Amino acid sequence: MPKLTIDGRVLEFAPGQTIIQVAQANGIEIPHYCYHPGLSVAGNCRICMVEVEKNPKPQIACYVPATDGMVVHTKSAQATEARAGVMEMLLVNHPLDCPICDQAGECKLQDYAFDFGHPTTRTPVEKTHLPKNVPFGAKIVYDGERCIKCTRCVRFTDEITQTHELSMGARGDKELVIMTSKGEFTTPYAMNIIDLCPVGALTSKDFRFESRVWFMDFTESVCTGCARGCNVTVGARGGRVLRMTPRENQAVNRWWMCDAGRLGYGYANAPTRLTGPRVRTSARPGEFADVGWEDAIDAAVEALRTTARGGVLADASATLEELWMLKAVAGAQRGELRYASRVGHDADGFLIVDEKGANQRGAEALGFARATAAAPAALLFVERGDAVPKALRDGADPVVAFVTDGADVPPTAQVVFPLPSFAERDGLLANVDGIVQPLRRCRAAGPRDLRAPLEILEEIRLGLAPDASPWTHADVVTAVRGAVAPAGLEVPDVAFAPAPARSVAAPTARTR
Amino acid sequence: MATGLYPQTKVLSKNFDVPNAHTLAVARPRGAYQSLEKALRTLTPAQVTEEVKKSRLRGRGGAGFPTGMKWSFVAKNTGKPTYLVMNADESEPGAFKDRYLMERDPHLVLEGALVSAYAIEASTVYIYVRGEYPHSIRRLEGAIEEARKAGLVGKDILGTKFSCEVYVHPGAGAYICGEETGLLESLEGKRGHPRIKPPFPAVEGAFRCPTIINNVETLAHVPWIVAHGGEAFAKQGLPPDPANPRSNGSTGTKLMGVSGQVRTPGLWEFEPGITLRELVYGYGGGPLPGRKIKAVIPGGISMPVLLDGELDVKMGFDELVKVGSGLGTGTAIVMDDTCDMVEACVNIAHFFGHESCGQCTPCREGCHWMEKVFRRVAEGDGQASDLDLLEALFKGIEGRTICFLADAAVWPVRSIVRKFRGEFLAKMTPAPTPAGA
Repeated sequence: MPKLTIDGRVLEFAPGQTIIQVAQANGIEIPHYCYHPGLSVAGNCRICMVEVEKNPKPQIACYVPATDGMVVHTKSAQATEARAGVMEMLLVNHPLDCPICDQAGECKLQDYAFDFGHPTTRTPVEKTHLPKNVPFGAKIVYDGERCIKCTRCVRFTDEITQTHELSMGARGDKELVIMTSKGEFTTPYAMNIIDLCPVGALTSKDFRFESRVWFMDFTESVCTGCARGCNVTVGARGGRVLRMTPRENQAVNRWWMCDAGRLGYGYANAPTRLTGPRVRTSARPGEFADVGWEDAIDAAVEALRTTARGGVLADASATLEELWMLKAVAGAQRGELRYASRVGHDADGFLIVDEKGANQRGAEALGFARATAAAPAALLFVERGDAVPKALRDGADPVVAFVTDGADVPPTAQVVFPLPSFAERDGLLANVDGIVQPLRRCRAAGPRDLRAPLEILEEIRLGLAPDASPWTHADVVTAVRGAVAPAGLEVPDVAFAPAPARSVAAPTARTR
Repeated sequence: MATGLYPQTKVLSKNFDVPNAHTLAVARPRGAYQSLEKALRTLTPAQVTEEVKKSRLRGRGGAGFPTGMKWSFVAKNTGKPTYLVMNADESEPGAFKDRYLMERDPHLVLEGALVSAYAIEASTVYIYVRGEYPHSIRRLEGAIEEARKAGLVGKDILGTKFSCEVYVHPGAGAYICGEETGLLESLEGKRGHPRIKPPFPAVEGAFRCPTIINNVETLAHVPWIVAHGGEAFAKQGLPPDPANPRSNGSTGTKLMGVSGQVRTPGLWEFEPGITLRELVYGYGGGPLPGRKIKAVIPGGISMPVLLDGELDVKMGFDELVKVGSGLGTGTAIVMDDTCDMVEACVNIAHFFGHESCGQCTPCREGCHWMEKVFRRVAEGDGQASDLDLLEALFKGIEGRTICFLADAAVWPVRSIVRKFRGEFLAKMTPAPTPAGA
């Protein structure tokens, strides 16, 4: 393998790798704005300039290929001076409106200015003014003054979606990003440009002015909007999910996610969410009383013990462990194991697939079959009303129902447990390609003190069979691993955070 | 002209004053297309290239790169077509030599393109003409039509197996599209953003195919080289410096112009060797009555200025570099003692800031920043520290970008700031005295 030296470290590289790629692979940070591994190299921001020995001029690390024997300095006087120069240039006309900018706290302009910006201004001149608050379609807002013209967004619509809605316009310091289409994106992936934007020039209308990012709690999870299972970071605060952004996973979603998935968290914040267990109090459908968790579990055990009804109807976004436990509890009863999910007609060969059940592959692997018509079931599990339509869930006439939203509760259910949303549960999901990935609980999302369905199901199971030995989450995972292996699903070792005694809300010292 | 002047050598300009020389009827009896015929019938493409190499012809667009060497870089056996692009986007302030060629002898320009296309085995030529040159565009299109009817453009030229199409592509008014890769982007219908190099156009140029881009004047020299041989061309002008094996000298002839504050601005053709002083004072007629020459930019606005005392330098590529400037396009701009050098800097910085494509941070932000500082000084609001700030800006802009526009933006104004520091200081606001002093 050829070798080069970066900051005194001798590093091997594969031919064709650029300096920045070798540096990143070895944990050496070279600042960059326009460079993105998923896009072509534009080489325009110039912040990645490094000193390469035998070159009189600083070189851009994003473009220059590593060569055998090359000696690179990222912190030499030449490199530092070049970077500081670019940093100063970038801020000449920048509005410096960080106090009201959504990007503040995760802005590369702030980060690099902190690292090597000039401490004082040398620009007592009027700044160049450009259009601000420009709508880019219905979901995105552009600020020409914050924009550093790195062209990441333009390259995204040219190269990834190939829909070409964006272009650079004008010249010189009047240059800006413009929409070439008539005001709306045709791609369902447009909002990725917000994440791509290294500064606050492109912001999400959905998230604008919602929260300072440093007050938010971030959790690495997966999107449950469809069976692709795009890897995401869920941002939450004060019991509300505020933002979902894609997280790199080359095997699943590369760096991207679709807009529908990104904005699909709204049901987790619905004011109609169930916040505690309920028990039917009369023969009149739809009349429930709020009860404590233990009373509800006792009622569920009693109802299941006495019913002749069997079977399960589960939302295909239930995790493998949840499905396993539903099956275990219902196993005492006889009946069918069925799942329901929405099937769209919008698969595009990129990320979006028709199957919207986030764990549909997992449900199939555990012996669940797609529900095609209404039929009774002892256990009902509904995370999203649109996944398990009213006819199916009401037709299930369940004994015990786990439901996220109060609007989706079947009126004839006997015991109802509030179901934490996708943002509030730990578990494993098998995506459309059979890749099993962890869904993770966000500490700051959802109503306080909801109990995990896994725990409740385990207590019901033990209530029904007092002599059975108790299972931990790990025991369930082990059982699931063996059960889904024949279907070709490989369950990875995943460590989940221990369940809290009570859920932790976001920092509350400051209120919005 | 008075006797005793450095002699003119009219090769490219031989038809400039001939009425209707832009028509084939006049141009052909005067020798047009004889070199094309000679090349197609008696020389292989490699032989034409070899003659151009021997001629030591250097690019006339400003950079002076050896043309034959450039041609030899064309990627061969790629399975793709090779293109020849003629850079006729003459947008350099002060330059008007290519316009003369295109308007007054378009058949020479076309013949140069065809012979060169034959040499690099291209069957398509694009002539990218500055959009503000409508007359040049008309003349070229007229010449191509005439040549096509005469069997000189199109299929099986002159009955040989060489076929070549020539297209005129008007620019849309951007200086940056004279930069060769900005030109290619524009030719392909995109924004004129220069490309990062490598790959160089000879490997991956227009439409990702091997492409040679040459200036109008460069290609107009090729017919003479084919007619008389590369060695004859190399004997004209300034020979290579024997002490420097990489030197190519300044051979052949060169169109040189003078514009600005002189009595007789114009365009002439010389073998390099004339001094800038003879050009400005002799041919340009010297300063206007009662004025003195203060500064001269020898080759279009992008080059550093020379003072009146520095004009005895010969107009050659290497000679001008040695005195800290450059031949550039060979078209001098003269400023006399009525010219405010600070205002000149405002003007120059405004031009480059306006023409910066906006791609690279240092150029996009830096050029306008320079302009703002120059304007502040011009308006009497400057401070002595602004000169240090400007020097820092020059350093932060030059050599930090994808193309050379940023360098070109720095060179003239930096030389003015350094050579006319007193003029800047004279406009500065006195530093405020401390309170109570």
